[in-house]
Amino acid sequence: MTQGAVALALAAFAAVPALSEIKSGTEFLSPDMRRQQADETRNPAFFWVEQGRELFSRKPTPDGQACVSCHADPQQSLRGAATHYPQVDAATAKLLNLEGRIEQCRVERQGQPAFGYESPELLAMTAYLGSLSRGLPVEVKTDGAARPYYEAGKAFFERRQGQLNLSCQQCHDGLVGQKLRGDTVSHGAGTGYPAYRLEWNDVGSLHRRLRACSLGVRATQFDYGSPEYLALELYLAGRAKGLPVETPGMRR
Amino acid sequence: MSFNARITMPTDVRAGEIVEIKVLTRHPMDRGGQSDGRGGTVPRKILNRLTATYAGEPIFRFDMHTGVAANPFVSFTTRAVATGDIVFEWREDGGATYTRTARLTVT
Repeated sequence: MTQGAVALALAAFAAVPALSEIKSGTEFLSPDMRRQQADETRNPAFFWVEQGRELFSRKPTPDGQACVSCHADPQQSLRGAATHYPQVDAATAKLLNLEGRIEQCRVERQGQPAFGYESPELLAMTAYLGSLSRGLPVEVKTDGAARPYYEAGKAFFERRQGQLNLSCQQCHDGLVGQKLRGDTVSHGAGTGYPAYRLEWNDVGSLHRRLRACSLGVRATQFDYGSPEYLALELYLAGRAKGLPVETPGMRR
Repeated sequence: MSFNARITMPTDVRAGEIVEIKVLTRHPMDRGGQSDGRGGTVPRKILNRLTATYAGEPIFRFDMHTGVAANPFVSFTTRAVATGDIVFEWREDGGATYTRTARLTVT
């Protein structure tokens, strides 16, 4: 116990890795799982992508407008869109992630009730739109209007919290590559989300994963779409700049 | 969106060739037993059997139990004999069945 605490304390002083050293979560998977992620015939998350594609072209009501009526030819017009999220919404000056943008469009443009965070429909839409950016590098804005959110996310990442008094940084910078509960600690790049996690038997959002991490250090679990996790998501995306989007990913 | 299937196999093969058939299924495979919030428990609802027939002949059967993960993936092989339909049938707890057909063209 004491040894473990000392190791963690030392890890806290480990140097922050250069951004070029940040690796995708895929790098920490077994070769077989990597193949499964890349193979559309074996990656179950593609069912969600398929469902999202259908939802995208389906009219919510008989006289309503489908997403494709504005975003024609999404393969072209929305290719790369997911690489810019989270971003600050110009109209409301609030930070929006991809889920938030989809819900905003659904409520304000389509006049429909929001799907709700972590609903199968929203996960499907997010997975579909994310998949349109597969292979393109993450390029979120972390300056200008996004600066305060980025700083808040960075502060969250570095702050010790929970009963175990751990910060995200201690594991995801200091102990990367080491084992934790049978899994390998990664850099915490969210480039594969929404992802199919074997532990969940399901596709889940990045915020669901962040909630699992909060629980792991016995800290407060924030709500889906909460400002805390949104800011953290922006910081993580900022760290992952240049890494390719892998949605829909597979994780353990 | 509780059931969906993705069947992957070559469409054109030569007679005598070994064909690999990959079947990925979307199904929650609910093993049941959780509280339903009213004092009872949720019944088990899984796909309990997958069978495949090729030109009317059974070629594959997989009995699934609660240990099988959600969204099961199976892969098997068969020998191409003659052009025909491969019919996949899943049996779900409660008696529902789902069927998908894929055409194998043998030259």
